[in-house]
Amino acid sequence: MKRLKRRDKMKIYADILSIVQSETKKEKIVLTRIQQKTNVPFDRLKVYISEMKELGLVQNDFLLTEKGRQYLIEYNRVLDFMKRMGLEYPE
Amino acid sequence: MITSVLVVIEAISAVLGAALTVFMIKPYLYTGEKRYIGLPLGFAFLSISYIFQGIALSPGAPPFIEDMKWLHLFTQAYAFIFLAVTYYFSKQTTRGKGLLWQILFSILIIVILFSYIAVSITPFFTLPSYKSVDEYFRSFNIIFALYLSISTLRSHALKPDSKTIWAPLGYILLAFSQYSFLIWSLDLSMAAFVGAHILRLMGLLIFLYISFETFRISSSVIVKKRA
Repeated sequence: MKRLKRRDKMKIYADILSIVQSETKKEKIVLTRIQQKTNVPFDRLKVYISEMKELGLVQNDFLLTEKGRQYLIEYNRVLDFMKRMGLEYPE
Repeated sequence: MITSVLVVIEAISAVLGAALTVFMIKPYLYTGEKRYIGLPLGFAFLSISYIFQGIALSPGAPPFIEDMKWLHLFTQAYAFIFLAVTYYFSKQTTRGKGLLWQILFSILIIVILFSYIAVSITPFFTLPSYKSVDEYFRSFNIIFALYLSISTLRSHALKPDSKTIWAPLGYILLAFSQYSFLIWSLDLSMAAFVGAHILRLMGLLIFLYISFETFRISSSVIVKKRA
């Protein structure tokens, strides 16, 4: 069985933010949908979301804040930079 | 006159290296993974090595300042080692490898301190001639720079993209620069000496191009979104 690569907290934050960003356009987001897409256990996901709210990355009704949007842009461009530099990082 | 030109080239290289360090620290800051710390350290050491070389070449420098050329050799070697180790560990994600990286990192720090003491406290250590040490170090640098070139070239070959060809090219130029310095040290060829400096500057400029290209494009996206 192929072993799953370990994801760090920054990557999980970025994954959650990117799902919140794409889902906002469709309809109201529910926590279970984020859980399914990020593949993070429900209890841990609640902790992450709570941390992200404290950091001002998301609002209470699962809307991306300006800070959250900036974080996602910065994170993606750093990933792009690493790719350009030939560095490996789990996507 | 030639010495002054060389000092200017070393100063330009040091500035380029410092600018690159600012960009290279971002992967470590944004992922929080220790295995990427070697990237900014590598470019910082490159920059420091050019500063040492520039100081050592300064016209009318006293003999103790000339000894800085030894530090140039050591710091440049650390730079290539840190970069090579970073690329090696960027492929590893398991905890055991993380521990290995920490042990290796600690050993490198001890080696750095030891070599600094060896150079600064000369009465305790008798070093061989600068020329022979320089040739050994250049050879090691070539090996590490070639590893970097192959590693980045392999990443490009696995996922071909026009954006990922620049990094291997940059490392290849740095490897050829070290090779040209080695040739110059062996046969005092002026063409090799001039070529080595040009190749080094080109290599550093390529990395600066990669950095600006990545962050410039993203900045324009932000501006567009805000508008």
